[in-house]
Amino acid sequence: MTGKRGLLGAAAGAAALVLVAAACGRSATPTTPSPGASSATAGLVTTSPPGTAPVDSVVWAVYRDVNSLDPIYAFDYPENTADSLMCESLLRQAPNGSIGPGVATLSTPSPTTLVFTIKPGVTFWNGDAVTADDVVYSLDRNTDPKLAGFYPAVFNRVSSIQATSSNQVTITLKQPDYWLPGELASIPGMVLEKSFVEQQGKNYGTPAGKIMCTGPYMFQSFKPGVGVTAIANPHYWNSAVKPLVKSILIKGISDVNTFTSGMLTGAVQGAYEFGIPTLDQLKSSPNVKVYDGPGWSTDAFIIDNLKGPLGDVRVRQALSLALDRQGIIDSVYKGAALMPRWQSNPGTFGYGTSVFDAAYNSSPVMTQNITKAKQLMQEAGAAGKTITIGMSSQLANIAAVAGAYQAAGQAIGLNVKLKSVSAQNYINFFIDPKARAGVDGFMTVNYGDYADPAALLSTFVLPPGSQNYDHYNNPKITSDLDEARGTADPNKRAALVSDAEKIAATDLPWIPNVQPTNLLVLNKNVTGAVASFAYMFAPWADNLGGTGSS
Amino acid sequence: MLLASLLVASFVIFAAMYLAPGNPIAALSGGRSLPPSSIKVLEERYHLNEPFLVQYWYWLKNALHGNLGISITLRENVSTLIASRIWTTAGLVLYASVIILVVGIGLGVLSGLRHGALDTSTLVVTAVSAAIPAFVAAIVLILLFAVKLGWFPALGNGTSFLSNLQHLTLPAFALAVSSLAIVARVTRASVREESNREHVQTAVSRGIPTRQVIWRHILRNAAIPVTTISGITIASLIAVAAVVEVAFSLNGLGAFLVGSAQSKDLAVVQGISLVLVTAFVVVNVLVDILYAVLDPRVSLGSRAA
Repeated sequence: MTGKRGLLGAAAGAAALVLVAAACGRSATPTTPSPGASSATAGLVTTSPPGTAPVDSVVWAVYRDVNSLDPIYAFDYPENTADSLMCESLLRQAPNGSIGPGVATLSTPSPTTLVFTIKPGVTFWNGDAVTADDVVYSLDRNTDPKLAGFYPAVFNRVSSIQATSSNQVTITLKQPDYWLPGELASIPGMVLEKSFVEQQGKNYGTPAGKIMCTGPYMFQSFKPGVGVTAIANPHYWNSAVKPLVKSILIKGISDVNTFTSGMLTGAVQGAYEFGIPTLDQLKSSPNVKVYDGPGWSTDAFIIDNLKGPLGDVRVRQALSLALDRQGIIDSVYKGAALMPRWQSNPGTFGYGTSVFDAAYNSSPVMTQNITKAKQLMQEAGAAGKTITIGMSSQLANIAAVAGAYQAAGQAIGLNVKLKSVSAQNYINFFIDPKARAGVDGFMTVNYGDYADPAALLSTFVLPPGSQNYDHYNNPKITSDLDEARGTADPNKRAALVSDAEKIAATDLPWIPNVQPTNLLVLNKNVTGAVASFAYMFAPWADNLGGTGSS
Repeated sequence: MLLASLLVASFVIFAAMYLAPGNPIAALSGGRSLPPSSIKVLEERYHLNEPFLVQYWYWLKNALHGNLGISITLRENVSTLIASRIWTTAGLVLYASVIILVVGIGLGVLSGLRHGALDTSTLVVTAVSAAIPAFVAAIVLILLFAVKLGWFPALGNGTSFLSNLQHLTLPAFALAVSSLAIVARVTRASVREESNREHVQTAVSRGIPTRQVIWRHILRNAAIPVTTISGITIASLIAVAAVVEVAFSLNGLGAFLVGSAQSKDLAVVQGISLVLVTAFVVVNVLVDILYAVLDPRVSLGSRAA
């Protein structure tokens, strides 16, 4: 099997997944360019031009079969892609990452009270109106230990969720939590019909059962090996959206060559991608159009041991300065990634954007500087010391980035040993302390559940963070982020998060490698899909349709 | 015999899966850190907290009652999952077998009986194609016949019988190509060997019609080694099919087995393995029966040399 795309999910509290692999190239087709040249994501597009003509069917590729359609078990690209096509959350992330009303509107009468009012006329596919009971039930499923869903940690500041009228749900918090709305605009906030879920029982979301949501595309079938089929919902409650595609099949295609020939021959009409070595082939095909959108994920080196040489911040800085990031962008990502300035991808600036942009642009780009790196190594007295990096030679992109670290170490007199494990066992670095014991760090591509740099950052810099493997603790970062979580004003919150990011950019709890962009690959005859990473969390095919040219 | 094979295979596979590193819950949750209470619920649901032999006994008891268990990742009955995919793999292997038998034996017989250009070119072509692994054949076939020429679809299953046939053509050839070459070469060699036997020479010198000599004296005797090699290659196709199914994104058992083994979905791996072992044993039994038909000296149960 050649070119198999592997992704591994990993630890997450309030956010974050880990995937292994990386990505691709750039086709700048700025249809809706981000405003202003000073924007950190200038040149990237958040959507492809809306479709205008009806289309009978679209085959949409994901890197493996969908395993479940129950949102509480959605943890990876295939499940997210299928769920976000059909289901809607309380709030909704726009393609640019901003959060607005979804199934409900939000008001906050006090910092510890969130009141969600269901929009009038919102109905499930079967015509039933969405009630406050449905919402409470859907949210409560996340934390039900019997269901063992993946998102209970999201609700750790919640003290109660109650229906306060037939169309109103009130969430009471133990302390202010301005990160919760982001999560409720993501997978944990998806609204399901209570009576339907109860009637389906343990079959809900499995191939043996059905699902019931509110989105513009409705569930038709879930056949393992064939895929998930969704059809246009003619009675979609939001009359401003008219789904143009009769039927969308979400199909797992694990081999990248198979995916590529599928795109070239028209057997597959679209996919969100990264880590495809065949990107140039796709871009040069007259049948295919590739859009480059803002990404929310970061390709990074996770440091899991601060007791070794990497415990000295100067060694971390030296390693970071010696890394040939442009080389990684060119060879691994084929151009489709940005040079980092911070830990987080600038695509995540979903609120307080001007504050973020200004702070980001005033931070230095992490360019290679061997002279300075050597100097830091000398000051630290670390020359000749050895670090071990966990990697898998079976995961081409991980192996390439680990190789770049070995070269960086060599340039500054730091011995970098590579410890390779099988692709299937790579996940153990994230979940098994024994696997981490032998290594100083390992590679990841990681993202948060919503557009906020803090969504990912908090998982590895805060002491209880789910990915804080080395017990990193910087009091200033911790207090900045804690304050940000309790700050209502978006610009003030952005300023606090920016401050934390700036410290993390020099203190380097992780070493960011590159910031991947999000690739939307479409057949030339269809258009309209969301191009940013928002597709993972909110409906992405509202405007999908034919170009009308054929 | 079948039952003994199944029992041994199921135990060995179960043990191997048990010992292999990794954790189905981690694979299931993508490594998201679940609260201990959730982990406990999941472990109890799938009996993951029991000792190895108890787990195996539990599985065996259910399997004997026709219940192959539930897939951890898909939360669906294993038998349903297998049933929905078995025809793809069966069709693919059958199609490839037909290609191997018809083209492989045909080519072997022709080049065995005739010296000259056909024989030489068969030798060269089969020497090369015998060395082509199925996944390379898949890439080349897709590039040539799907991407460049557009004659066949690049991936997926069809919806009707005819479109299924069209969708399975490239995968079947990819699967068949190296086995076909081996069968052709063995057939050619054994036809050549039989042709030079004394009784054949005698029959020719006595003026018996060529057609009769070929059918009764050459092919019938050459059939035993050809049956052996065909049986072995066809049985091995069942395992190789996984590679081709992944390459063509077919909804088959092999691709499913690979994915399930990676996510440590024990019940699925066990279920598919049983199907594969059964198929393997059945093919071998068929070969044994064929021996007896071809050579009356062979009695069922003992094996021809």
